[in-house]
Amino acid sequence: MPSNFISPILAKAFTVLVFALIALPATAQQLHGRIADQTDPTQPLVGASVVWKGTAKGTATDANGQFILETSDVQTSEVIVSYLGYKPDTLNVSGKTEVSILLSRSTTIKEAVVEGQKERYSSLTPTNSQIITTRDLEKSACCNLAESFETNASVEVTTTDAVSGAKQIQMLGLDGAYTLLTTDNIPSLRGLATPYRLNYLSGTYIESIDIIKGMGSVLNGYESISGQVNVKLKDPEKTERLYFNLYGNSLAKFDANLNVSAQVSPKWSTVLMLHGNHLGNRVDRNNDGFMDVALGTQYNVFNKWKYTHNAIVSEFGINALTEERLGGQTNYEKDQPAGQNYGTESDTDRLFAYNKTSYTFPGKPYQSIGLISSATHHKFNSLYGLRRYDGEQNSASGRLIFQSIIGHTGHTYKVGLSYNLDDYTETFNGQNFSRTEHVPGAFAEYIFNNAENLTVVAGARVDFHNLYGNIFTPRLNVKYDLTANSIFRVAAGKGYRVANPLSENTGAMVSSRSFIFQEDLDPEEAWNVGGSFTHYFELGGRPGAFITDYYYTTFNNQVVADMYSNRNAIEFYNLVGRSYSNSFQAELQYEVLKGFDVKTAYKYFDVKATYNGQLMQKPMIPEHRFFVNLGFATPFDKWRADLTTQFFGLMPLASMDEADHNHPNNLIGKRNSDRFYTVNAQVTRAFKRWDVYVGGENLLNFRQPDPIMGASDPFGSDFDGSMVWGPITGRVIYAGLRYRID
Amino acid sequence: MQKLKMFVLSLVMAFISISVQAQTTKKSTDETIQVKTSSVCNMCKKSLEKAMAYEKGVKSSSLDVNSQVLTVVFDSRKTNADNIRKTVNATGYDADDKPADARAYNKLDDCCKKENGVH
Repeated sequence: MPSNFISPILAKAFTVLVFALIALPATAQQLHGRIADQTDPTQPLVGASVVWKGTAKGTATDANGQFILETSDVQTSEVIVSYLGYKPDTLNVSGKTEVSILLSRSTTIKEAVVEGQKERYSSLTPTNSQIITTRDLEKSACCNLAESFETNASVEVTTTDAVSGAKQIQMLGLDGAYTLLTTDNIPSLRGLATPYRLNYLSGTYIESIDIIKGMGSVLNGYESISGQVNVKLKDPEKTERLYFNLYGNSLAKFDANLNVSAQVSPKWSTVLMLHGNHLGNRVDRNNDGFMDVALGTQYNVFNKWKYTHNAIVSEFGINALTEERLGGQTNYEKDQPAGQNYGTESDTDRLFAYNKTSYTFPGKPYQSIGLISSATHHKFNSLYGLRRYDGEQNSASGRLIFQSIIGHTGHTYKVGLSYNLDDYTETFNGQNFSRTEHVPGAFAEYIFNNAENLTVVAGARVDFHNLYGNIFTPRLNVKYDLTANSIFRVAAGKGYRVANPLSENTGAMVSSRSFIFQEDLDPEEAWNVGGSFTHYFELGGRPGAFITDYYYTTFNNQVVADMYSNRNAIEFYNLVGRSYSNSFQAELQYEVLKGFDVKTAYKYFDVKATYNGQLMQKPMIPEHRFFVNLGFATPFDKWRADLTTQFFGLMPLASMDEADHNHPNNLIGKRNSDRFYTVNAQVTRAFKRWDVYVGGENLLNFRQPDPIMGASDPFGSDFDGSMVWGPITGRVIYAGLRYRID
Repeated sequence: MQKLKMFVLSLVMAFISISVQAQTTKKSTDETIQVKTSSVCNMCKKSLEKAMAYEKGVKSSSLDVNSQVLTVVFDSRKTNADNIRKTVNATGYDADDKPADARAYNKLDDCCKKENGVH
């Protein structure tokens, strides 16, 4: 039979094959390889990881991008190669002893916003950046941008005056006006919108917030001096299909929010976000005859569209809001005869629209062109006692940015052109302040990255201001990784802005001080130099981070708002002498126990300006501040609890006291605030679709004694509601719920 | 006295037997399933296990990143294997032969996309 004849041969062949298979790995016990950048294969990727698929066995490439892998005891034939900023790759290496692997860059180094996954201090960006995630946002009371910074140590939120309740952010001890506020990287809420701008973005519109301390990129204009706050709004493609939030507090303030998103077609997606808030209850807990919080009603709509088709991504957004506020004495009503009761009113209408379109060149993921345009209309009518302040701002801006590489992705650059139009009309007490700015400009930024431990971003822009001539703005950011866990950053550069002294000092309108403009005011110009050191560590298997930074800002020119020199006035003049800010911060974050995070920070501010020839500490900025945040979460965040406490040191205040002003050898009227603590806490219970939260602000019930000087005679010469350094309302308890369908 | 002792003892015994019985009946409704998923990393593990934790009837879950197998213990009176696979899909991952919900998959972080392979 033939079969009997064949089978011994088959058996023999099989034995040989088996031997061969056994012998093969024996002769090739090592896999040698080299990993390099795809766009420039001469550029080795140092420290890239090579791991056998499905195992923990692997290695990293050496200084030449080379690696050796033991193949002897591995079952799989595939390796996974990955490197930060590059797309990971899986390769079949069976039978090979030597491989050459080219990795392509990810188009963006995307810093994912994933709950609980993300380091609050980014280890990737060249700037000193922090991220406030959705999870962080949920830790504080609802529902606007002002509250979003509550659990963050780098940005302070201050109240401008005791009557209107307007809130401002501060960074590096400098006024919020020196911080560039952008939404989706588009400068917004600038100029006349400044006084109440933190109210204009609902917390429920926000995906995350990036805070950049010190000098940032030149791409967004010349305006930022102390830093940049970029608010990332919800992405129509990725946000919840339905999100609903209700909030109420013990002052009877209510907030309602609704987001609805939909994938309209494969290319188009949209999100519609609605926000409304209302406070109609007059509260006067300190019995000074004034409402502790201004009444207000706001309706706010934001609609965002996203178009994605091959290499084109385009985003459209439109935002409309209307707000009414009323503050002052408890029996103040709208349209009362002037002088009967003291009151403040403000009616605001705002319209904002933008488009961002980018095109990525086919086959060249590193090369793209983008066009960003926006238009804003902002109009308000306001009343501060007997003073009427009305304003309107119409702005338009356009930016064209081209991005590419020089040779390989270690050298990238961005160049572009920009145009800004700002038309301001302000009337204050019958006086007109109007100006129209046309500012065409050009900018360039070069980014060097050695793919290992050094990133240098050098940028400059030239702008041609129709009123103030040519403006040159150089900026530099350097990031150096001493080790993967220890990172140094340096930032230096110049910033420039045209001040809006009225809208930036609405607080002083709530006083008897007259507004005196001593001269024509020049634009403000400042240098900012600083650096930070970030160290990530692991102790007892749990992660922690230590961050310290120091920034020095010095003004070549500043619009000085002097409340020290004249007890009856706020005087505006150009800086003569020095004005600077020294800001130091040290922060420690550590997960003390599983699920229990501790964040502590100490801040030192030395902020001085020359007032009438005398170098003085700026009013209402404490030299020393402490911040402690305790966060506790059970597994899977079913329960979350947060406690934030802050200590504020002494703050100098401008005084209206005759005695202070008439003191011999002292032309300056100055007094001090008290030291105080605030404590905020919140507990959240999460269900599959529901979250329920209860919290309290200012639990110690600390209140600034006499926030309004001369409250009994608001039309008299001693009236001053602008020196607010502490909480006015005392303890506020709130509760709310969130409902979402992903 | 003796009677009282006996009474207490029998009461204790009764309780023990009842509780044992309760435990056994409770145990009998617990089921364990294993689902092969398209998860690829530790981030996926976190999000999958978290999604499971919020699912009605799920007692515990654990994903083995290397084998991509999600092991779920659930109360069969409150949920079933299909619901669990649906939840896996809704989180953005394939579950056995059922593909991931497209929108949920798009929302996943780059790190969790299945093209990356297990890493």
